[in-house]
Amino acid sequence: MVVVLLPALLATEAGGQNRFEVEAATVEEALLALPVKDRVFDEQGSLRPLVNVYVDGVDVRERGGLSAELAGAEEIRLVGAIAGG
Amino acid sequence: MSVVVLAGTKKGLFLFRSDEGRREWMLEGPHLEGWSVYHAILDERDGVLHACTNHEVYGATAHRSLDGGNTWERAEKLGLPEDSELKLERTWHVEPGHVDEPKMLWLGAAPGVLFRSDDGGTTWDVVEGLLNHPTRDRWFPGAGGMCCHSIQLDPADVKRLHIGISAAGVFRTEDGGEHWAPVNSGTAADFLPDPYPELGQCVHKLLRCADSPRLWQQNHCGVYRSDDGGDSWERLDGNGLPSGFGFALALHPQDPDTAFVVPIEGAENRVTSDGRLGVYRTSDGGASWALSMGGLPEHAWTGVLREGMASDKLDPLGLYLGAQSGSVFASADEGKTWNEVASQLPPVLSVEVGEWS
Repeated sequence: MVVVLLPALLATEAGGQNRFEVEAATVEEALLALPVKDRVFDEQGSLRPLVNVYVDGVDVRERGGLSAELAGAEEIRLVGAIAGG
Repeated sequence: MSVVVLAGTKKGLFLFRSDEGRREWMLEGPHLEGWSVYHAILDERDGVLHACTNHEVYGATAHRSLDGGNTWERAEKLGLPEDSELKLERTWHVEPGHVDEPKMLWLGAAPGVLFRSDDGGTTWDVVEGLLNHPTRDRWFPGAGGMCCHSIQLDPADVKRLHIGISAAGVFRTEDGGEHWAPVNSGTAADFLPDPYPELGQCVHKLLRCADSPRLWQQNHCGVYRSDDGGDSWERLDGNGLPSGFGFALALHPQDPDTAFVVPIEGAENRVTSDGRLGVYRTSDGGASWALSMGGLPEHAWTGVLREGMASDKLDPLGLYLGAQSGSVFASADEGKTWNEVASQLPPVLSVEVGEWS
């Protein structure tokens, strides 16, 4: 079981819920279990470039990417990049 | 009956409600907070609100509200097929289908794509005939991307549509979207080596008259009218308009000779012409234009975008104008006098109007 925390706009899109507990073996599997997976990934299955993913406080890119195993991980946090106007 | 104006902004959707007199407006919102609302409509067939919603981080989508804006749901399926190798960039315009197709809607988007929904906006399917158009490799994006921003239905023929794409031009289908013909003869593209090509024109806004087959367009290179379904276009910006460049366009539902535009200085300086927020009106099919701006700012260097002006169906005609400065203006007398009904909103991207029975 891993906890996924959503930023405010995605929580609104998820029906007002910002915390999800999901069963998943990898980070990608956990994100694909979300009701906002279409806002996290584009239609070609790529992580949207300005969505940052942290696993227990560490950028997922430093943990082997989205396919990284979740064994022992407790929390995935999604953060929109600081971009735009 | 109530009138509702939908002002899509860079940060959310604002609604303004009034009665038939359209003198007092009640502001409501923002809805869809955080989303850039490129266009929003009230579908008068069923009272559903639809919005084209875009976000720098979370991408392009569409939302609808079944309860007048209190709650919103995101489209369950809206994207491009994997084998197209294209990605949905932005959603630009949503258009209700025919009266006799109650759950059918069209949606225009970038990169130069059109979707249709047959379930009231829950799921959207790309129109393959446009996606795989044989001339697609000759289209290129304008400053706002390669947006399909105008969708105009023929009330007498459910299979006949006109669309506008920047910068590909105007296209017409006679078979419900399977085949599309470019119809740009006579419209200029003075930014290309051949200034009158078959396609590649930068149409900014295309509208069809309500009770007439006449088409109007505000183009990167002038204002045009077509009386033959787009087969030929006549340029109309030589007599009274300070500039042929602009984005916004509104028509009179009872009078095909009347149109309204908001001239912009030019492609390289996109501010309202002559340092004022001026609406120009023609009542003779574009032969002449006159300034019609009582109550609008005399000193303004703002922008009015392609969805920035709308007209209602009431008598006298109501006009609505939204500016990038964050103001929304309304006129209940065909543009003779205007009132600022809101200011200090986020930059206004779109204005639409509908009637709630």
